[in-house]
Amino acid sequence: MNPATIFDVQRFCLHDGPGIRTVVFFKGCTLRCVFCQNPESIDPRPEMAFYPERCIECRACLDVCPRDAIREGDVERIDWSSCDACGRCAALCPAEALRQIGRRVSASQLLAEVLADRAFFDSSGGGLTLSGGEPVLQSDFLAAFLPLCKTKGLHVLLETAGNYRFEKIERLLEWIDELFFDFKFPDSASYERYSGSHSRHIEENLERLAARQRPRLTVRIPLIPGLNTTDDRIDAFAARLRQLGIARVALLDYNHLWEAKLPRLHTERKPLRLHRDQVARQRIEERFRFHAIGVASN
Amino acid sequence: MQVDVPSVTTPRAGIDERAFDPLPPIERLGRLRGDLLAAPYALCTQKAESLGEYLEGRSRSAFARALQRARWRAYRWALGRASSGGARPLWVRPLDTVLRGVDRLLDGAHREPWIVELARALAYGLERAPLAVHRGELIVGNLTSVRLGAALHPDYSGHLLAPELRGLSTRAVNPLQVTPEQIAALDERVFPFCFARSVLSRALLAQSTPRLAERLLDGRAFVLTQFSGISHLTPDYPSVARRGLSSIAAAIGRELQRFEATTPSKRQRLGTSTENEDGRGSPGQEQRAFLRAALIACEGAIAHARRWSRWLALLAERATSEGRRTELRELSQICRRVPEFGARTFHEALQSVWLTHAMLHHESFQHGISFGRLDQYLYPYYRADLEAGRLTRARAVELVGCFLGKAAEGLPLFFERATEFFSGMSSASGITIGGTTPSGEDATNELSVLILRAYDQMRLRQPNIHARFHRSSDPRFRALCYQTLARGGGIPALFNDAVVVPSLMAHGVAPRDAADYSIVGCAEWGVPYRSFPAAGAAFVNVPFALLLALGDGLVAGRREAPARGEAEPSSFDELLARFRERLRDLIAEVVAANNEIEAAHRSIRPTPFLSAVVGGCVERRRDVTAGGARYNSSGIQAVGLADCADSLAVVEQLVFRERRLSLGELMRIVDANFVGHEALHREIRNRIPKYGENSERSDQLARWTVRLVDEVVSAFRNPRGGRYLAGFWSMTTHQGFGRRLGALPSGRLAAEPLANGISPTNGWDRRGPTASLLSAAAIEPRHIANGCVLNQSLDPRFIADEAGQRVVDGLVRGYFAAGGAQLQLNVVDPAVLIDAKRFPERHRGLVVRISGYSAYFNDLTEAMKDELIGRTLHDCSCGVGG
Ligand code: SF4
Ligand code: SF4
Repeated sequence: MNPATIFDVQRFCLHDGPGIRTVVFFKGCTLRCVFCQNPESIDPRPEMAFYPERCIECRACLDVCPRDAIREGDVERIDWSSCDACGRCAALCPAEALRQIGRRVSASQLLAEVLADRAFFDSSGGGLTLSGGEPVLQSDFLAAFLPLCKTKGLHVLLETAGNYRFEKIERLLEWIDELFFDFKFPDSASYERYSGSHSRHIEENLERLAARQRPRLTVRIPLIPGLNTTDDRIDAFAARLRQLGIARVALLDYNHLWEAKLPRLHTERKPLRLHRDQVARQRIEERFRFHAIGVASN
Repeated sequence: MQVDVPSVTTPRAGIDERAFDPLPPIERLGRLRGDLLAAPYALCTQKAESLGEYLEGRSRSAFARALQRARWRAYRWALGRASSGGARPLWVRPLDTVLRGVDRLLDGAHREPWIVELARALAYGLERAPLAVHRGELIVGNLTSVRLGAALHPDYSGHLLAPELRGLSTRAVNPLQVTPEQIAALDERVFPFCFARSVLSRALLAQSTPRLAERLLDGRAFVLTQFSGISHLTPDYPSVARRGLSSIAAAIGRELQRFEATTPSKRQRLGTSTENEDGRGSPGQEQRAFLRAALIACEGAIAHARRWSRWLALLAERATSEGRRTELRELSQICRRVPEFGARTFHEALQSVWLTHAMLHHESFQHGISFGRLDQYLYPYYRADLEAGRLTRARAVELVGCFLGKAAEGLPLFFERATEFFSGMSSASGITIGGTTPSGEDATNELSVLILRAYDQMRLRQPNIHARFHRSSDPRFRALCYQTLARGGGIPALFNDAVVVPSLMAHGVAPRDAADYSIVGCAEWGVPYRSFPAAGAAFVNVPFALLLALGDGLVAGRREAPARGEAEPSSFDELLARFRERLRDLIAEVVAANNEIEAAHRSIRPTPFLSAVVGGCVERRRDVTAGGARYNSSGIQAVGLADCADSLAVVEQLVFRERRLSLGELMRIVDANFVGHEALHREIRNRIPKYGENSERSDQLARWTVRLVDEVVSAFRNPRGGRYLAGFWSMTTHQGFGRRLGALPSGRLAAEPLANGISPTNGWDRRGPTASLLSAAAIEPRHIANGCVLNQSLDPRFIADEAGQRVVDGLVRGYFAAGGAQLQLNVVDPAVLIDAKRFPERHRGLVVRISGYSAYFNDLTEAMKDELIGRTLHDCSCGVGG
């Protein structure tokens, strides 16, 4: 069976489902959201990151790179055009200034990592959260991995943005206890504009998932100040949710910390320079309630 | 007489929901708290002066007295030199020996056995101790002559403070008010008559510990505590409350009669002539002297309580308000009854326990004297009063609050160096609540709840409250613990019955007694009421022993132990074997010194009053210091567990697995504090898994180290016929040891603190709290006979609401299910600590958890403040983001 490509396993996460959870971040996504919190999650392949503030200028990396992709002294240490993310420099760097983002794991390896915190899942009603990136893109892996999780009795929660054909997720549903569906825009035009993709699959998948009893579905709206938080956007969200028979929504506050990651990565993305707005949040909550859509506290 | 009072563990008949009802702040407690926070810290010399006075009065001639003063002056001069770094002149020792001989000739043989003299001195002191009732108090009895006082005990090591007395009120950390009259009195009338018969002098002069003085002063390899006093036990307060001191005295009297009847009268008539210097005499005489002394002490205590009763009646007459008059009258009645006789009400029982506790502190320096399972043995009184309508829940909280306020009045007296090792001024008295009955049912009761709620209103740094959790703990009780913790202060600490009880049984405690365990001081689990566990006897710097093994006796280029001329070890196992040897040698040194101190306790400073209230002593006719208690042990704490495990992991990886460096090369780099080898240093810090990251190898090495320490320590016996037990908690000795220690292979740099308790090194547990808890849970608790401490800081924003508390419950129960024994949570915002460091005056009552105890942040050394800030910053930023 093929291994998965993941870029992190985080333990003791408290905001990605009930109880104490371990979140596995899968690498690769088909959306290109300008506000993406995890820019390192988009490319499905492993990639490199450089943290200039950690570098102690020991020069060990210069000698080891087989492709001569490392430039001395530069803040942008790696010449992205020649680096193939082989990871040799990172394996050697004593300061963890160079890091390989993304590693391949087998299902049993990953299971062992997740099970480490088993005692805490049991004691807190927590479990495993699949996040990313878009985990469902690695549907084949999950189809093998999730049954293993279920034999161990793990509570499984999937966070998804929904941009794939339904078959990809359909075969996983029986292994999943809970779904967090990120619904970013109430209209396809905005998806195209800010996320680089039409929303046909997303709309269809949301509809089909909403129609099912299980797994339990929570629709989450990541608030992007100005892009999807104006009154007319909220009204449109509410209308769409009512159509789908969904009476409750979870709102995710905007967090700009991701912008700090940009200079370390090979990416064209630009900071948005937006900031979370508490006042707006209250207005948004009230507006949802006005439309008889409850807002889950998170 | 068999164990007179098994602890009263009442099965929970379900805690009445009303115990959890919201309780408005109680005005009296608010005022009491305010007064206590505002009171200055002062030195108390009352006991010292009355002891000096008593002994001076027993001196035979003016010449003898003059000689004693001369001897003290010579000693004081030498002490001053030693503490300012000068070498001890060669002639001090011979001179001292000569003076000592003359002194003994003139004054040595007292008319009475020494233990009897000490009991008389206690009674003499209690007769003269000033009685002060503070505003609004409902429990009376004072540990010292001032409100917040540190008593100087010249019969232990009080004279160590002599060179520092003048600077005491202005010293940087923990200043204590002291008057010139006090200093003069100590110098003229106290030290000359006490210091030669002090525990410290006696232990230092012992032949088997020639290097002790040097080792004690440099504080690098180990710290010993018992030269300062008897410490760390839980007296039989349940018995005192139930029977009263008069009944205990009567039992002593009967024992004495029985003794007289069975012992040949000839032996008695020998009188004091065959006594050795310490007036102990033959075993028969020692027993008889002990019983007499215990009786005198009890009578002195009873007289003291009667004095209180009379004084309170007088105060009642003078009271300005009718309300206070009634209270004082009632208190006067109560003190007429207890602790002389058995208590009849909840108020009497609390007062009985407190006054006895206070009087014990007039006998000896008492560190970590704990209350045991207060919620269990006071419950019958509480229940009866409640049912009879004599008591409401609010009133019970008020009374317990007053009791807690009294317990916050004591301060330990540390000379400057000790402050670094025991920062935070904790007397470490513990109260244990919750737990099970001997048959395993939940013993948590309404009083467990009300004690916590009283604490919540007081929020002072002590006493310590320890909550026992088990599988069927009342969830409402657990929730209350978290709510109490959520408001900061680090109280209560949480203990896991499922792990602690078997651990005690593995060390020879009967199942019934093990189920009845309570916590002494910071974290030491043991059988209460009839043990002398001396749980805080010593602290050992374990990485120091490791460095000895790594450097063949050299530490940072300095010869600390004989070389064995060993070649580089050929395998990691060989290195481990050498470490075992070095650790054994070091522990043997500690044991020899501590044994010397314990022997000195027995000969020079027996504690007959304490012995009267520790189960077993009267029946065995032996003082606690002579092994009178039913269970006898001494605790040695291993400090620097994480440093040790991490260092072993690094050495194994670099020297034996990768073979990149020889051990000698590595140690040269380490001894040079990694200067010039920054890349290697980073690599070690970043790339070799650390204890606290839940990686298999480092957890294994930590487990191995714990097992090793247990094996080495528990092979030794103390003079009371008990075992040495290993503990893994550090108070702030990890700071003191760390400051004096060079770099370690783990990547810890010179002078950085060691890791505390069984916690990972600050900031090195990069995988979040679950991983570090699992690392700690991987240690086998059956090898931890003397308790352990694990700190976890939490961000207050995250524990504040109910969902947060559920997560905390998850963390705690997950840790316990994985095999964890103890956990303490510091819920504090790092920003608040940073502000408190800059502006201490804004944060007077800020209580933080240190290491098995809590303290006012302002009382800590600067280094300890920084450590706490670092600890919270790291833990609060870790994981919680999600
Ligand atoms: S190996 Fe790491 S620390 Fe050394 S120069 Fe390269 S990036 Fe910097
Ligand atoms: S990842 Fe490989 S190719 Fe890229 S810079 Fe590092 S060593 Fe060179």
